[in-house]
Amino acid sequence: MTDLLATFRTSHEALRAEQTLKGGGLAVELIPVPRQIRGDCGFCLLLEAAGAVPEERIARLRACGAQDVWRVTAIPFPTSSRKEKSYERIP
Amino acid sequence: MSESRRTVDARGQACPQPVILTRKALAEGGFDLLEVLVDDASSRENVVRFAGYASCVVEEVLEEGAVSRILLRPAPAAPTSARVFAAPAPAPVPVVPAAAGTTVLITAAGIGAGDEQLGALLMRGFLYTLTEAEEAPARIILMNGGVRLAVTGSDSLVNLLRLAERGVEILACGTCLEFYQLKEALAVGRVTNMYEIAGLLLQGRTISV
Repeated sequence: MTDLLATFRTSHEALRAEQTLKGGGLAVELIPVPRQIRGDCGFCLLLEAAGAVPEERIARLRACGAQDVWRVTAIPFPTSSRKEKSYERIP
Repeated sequence: MSESRRTVDARGQACPQPVILTRKALAEGGFDLLEVLVDDASSRENVVRFAGYASCVVEEVLEEGAVSRILLRPAPAAPTSARVFAAPAPAPVPVVPAAAGTTVLITAAGIGAGDEQLGALLMRGFLYTLTEAEEAPARIILMNGGVRLAVTGSDSLVNLLRLAERGVEILACGTCLEFYQLKEALAVGRVTNMYEIAGLLLQGRTISV
């Protein structure tokens, strides 16, 4: 399963997209933009377990004004239950 | 020789009155056992917790219908030359207040003054970030509007539940829940009182949000 993350130009856009997507039945979560993606403050949308073939979900995120959509990979730490996440921008 | 007993009847008293009455009786002393009667689950928990802080032994908690009968044995006073114990006093159950670690105090549903929507957004972001933090706080205390975060329908509930799963204690002010009529809607953590809150804030590190 793939986790997806959508970044927006502004937090207002992220908020609006959250409302639209949730209204359409997509369980997105509004979270701060990970520092690996952007150093400044901001919010983005996380869509966990977007499915093995997430193209339809990616299209919906883009249709809501996402500036970029990212594939999230969680790498477990060898010594703890925490996971390091990496982000790959989907062209 | 039979043990002397005093009864504090706190039935019908709203939080934190049962704790105040218990504390007053313990301070006055002059008995071997203190019996406290309460008729509310949070009062029962708060009195038992307070007894721990006061180094009392909770001998028993009896449920009699809606009433709880809590039997407390005060910590023995330090012996003096003028006082002779007929038998060794029972050792109090050691209760260490769980004040180690960082306390996060949240007193509003949003962060900072200014736009309400932005404040709420920042709070959601803050709590999510705590769930991802390598070292979680020991506890989060919610007061005033902050209790709204822990009730059914809150946007931040999912993150508070995640934090609770990680072992973070979520404490919601009982007076505040009552004031906002949200006592029944609390969906994570437990109800606490001003004594516990003040005790925790005075110990260890506190971050106020």
